[in-house]
Amino acid sequence: MPILQTDNLVMTYRVGKVDVHALRGVNLGVEKGEFVSIMGHSGSGKSTLLHILGGLLKPTSGKVIVDGEDLAAVGDAQRTDIRRRKIGFVFQRFNLFPTLTAEGNLKLAEHIHGNSGNGNAELRREVLRLLKLENKMQHKPLELSGGEQQRVALARAVINRPAIILADEPTGNLDSENSEIVLQMLVQLNRDIGQTIVMITHNPEAAEIASRKILMRDGQIVSH
Amino acid sequence: MDSLILANIRQRPTRTLVSVIGVALGVVLILINTGLVRGMLNDRMKREKGVGGEIRFLRPGSGVLTTSSLPLDIRYADRLRQIEGVKSVSPVGAYIQGGGAGIGIEAVEGIEFESYAAMSGLKIIEGRLFQNDNEVIVDDFKAAKSKAKIGNEIDVFGKKLKVVGIYSPPSGSRIKMSLTAMQNYLASANKCTLMMVKCVDPEKQEEVQRRINAELPGNTVQLIRDLPSFERAIPGLNGFIRTILVLSTIVSSLVILLAMYTTITERTREIGILKSLGASKRFIITVIEKEAITISLIGVTVGLIAALMIGWVIGATTTLQVEFQFSWIAIAALIGLAAGIGGAFYPAVRAANQDAVKALSYE
Repeated sequence: MPILQTDNLVMTYRVGKVDVHALRGVNLGVEKGEFVSIMGHSGSGKSTLLHILGGLLKPTSGKVIVDGEDLAAVGDAQRTDIRRRKIGFVFQRFNLFPTLTAEGNLKLAEHIHGNSGNGNAELRREVLRLLKLENKMQHKPLELSGGEQQRVALARAVINRPAIILADEPTGNLDSENSEIVLQMLVQLNRDIGQTIVMITHNPEAAEIASRKILMRDGQIVSH
Repeated sequence: MDSLILANIRQRPTRTLVSVIGVALGVVLILINTGLVRGMLNDRMKREKGVGGEIRFLRPGSGVLTTSSLPLDIRYADRLRQIEGVKSVSPVGAYIQGGGAGIGIEAVEGIEFESYAAMSGLKIIEGRLFQNDNEVIVDDFKAAKSKAKIGNEIDVFGKKLKVVGIYSPPSGSRIKMSLTAMQNYLASANKCTLMMVKCVDPEKQEEVQRRINAELPGNTVQLIRDLPSFERAIPGLNGFIRTILVLSTIVSSLVILLAMYTTITERTREIGILKSLGASKRFIITVIEKEAITISLIGVTVGLIAALMIGWVIGATTTLQVEFQFSWIAIAALIGLAAGIGGAFYPAVRAANQDAVKALSYE
């Protein structure tokens, strides 16, 4: 059974008096341990799809099954709870807390998840080793390079072992060298700890590193 | 979560400082006002009791702290002296004016020196007794704490009257003049505010009180030992204190509300990040409320220290007394905290209800 599945997903926004059809019946399945990239031009609906997959938006109709739970069938509080337990986000703009150190950002994610003790110390060590962040934990985001910030954001996303990591243009703010590093780390997380990843990107080269590519156009999946 | 709260407090020092001052201001307002009222009135009551008589005889509705007229006919003194058990009677005129440095109120008494001194044990310790309408004497406490030295002039009735003597011990008001002078200034010949009555046997003051009531009905006959507590001494005082409490709460709450509201707007994106991490509405409200509580605790502490210092400065530089009471300190602290919690609630709920996607794209 797929760890992520959508069934005839429709999302329509009302902008003034006009209906904007962002998603027009998206059917998608992602198996556990898969690394899927979703490509498409601006306005193709890929960001809307990612937000719905992560429970940040509620679809107009359709189903979104994440690890056995339907995000579309529950209220805001339950969607938040499912997101807390099963989803890890990585954003284009890193979205770290600027006032906290790298370690503080990780601990906050653990605290929200409910892991405030040292129960996952081994996993934390493993993640930090994989992402080469052992010596950066006491730095604040502004003291880190863009690539390092995105690695911290990756560590934060994976630290609670979510069912899926949703990466929204994770290399969009990085130069080619740092983009390559971050992409390799996504591959490594997928390969070494079996992390399921769904990544949206404009960049065809970035999309190539995934095990499966999906192309979206006008709110629909046009190729798998 | 605690590190996030402390980091936010440190990251926005101006916001934190303004909020702390807002809460501290409320605490200072409560403590200084209640302390000043309590200190002034208790001090006044203490000196009132120090006059030496056991009974006060006055017209209904009048009193030293509430009257600036002379409603009582001076001939009552002779009638009182004839009542069994009365040893001596001293008529006193009372006039209330604004306090020095514009703070509080100050009473001036017009006395018949011989009868008053015999009853209270008052003595001129420096200078001499007043001899005309333009002269006053002051007690040694006022002489030490203010510019009311011998030869200086002080304002009474809007006129400059000369200090010619210093007396001790303090009793009644701190400024005294002749009763005749006061009657002249107030155009109330042969009138006074009250009569101080000393009993032959202080143990039998209640009997004397009954006799006075029987002989001179329709007047107020108070035992000095039963003088009202400070809350009841001035009509409307509790209303005044309640107003101060409400104003303090509103001031502190508004400062916190505005500060937290601004902060929440600045931190819209961070709220979005919290939501993307799966933080519940409750979690977000708790973070913001904990931040407000921390700021309020600092504000309460700063306010308490500031109030103690201001009270000390007032006591050291003026004749006013500021008396702090534990119950009012507790009330001020609770109000400071409640203002923080209440003021932050709306911004916290607003933050918790923000749309996650819009918050994440906030610039």
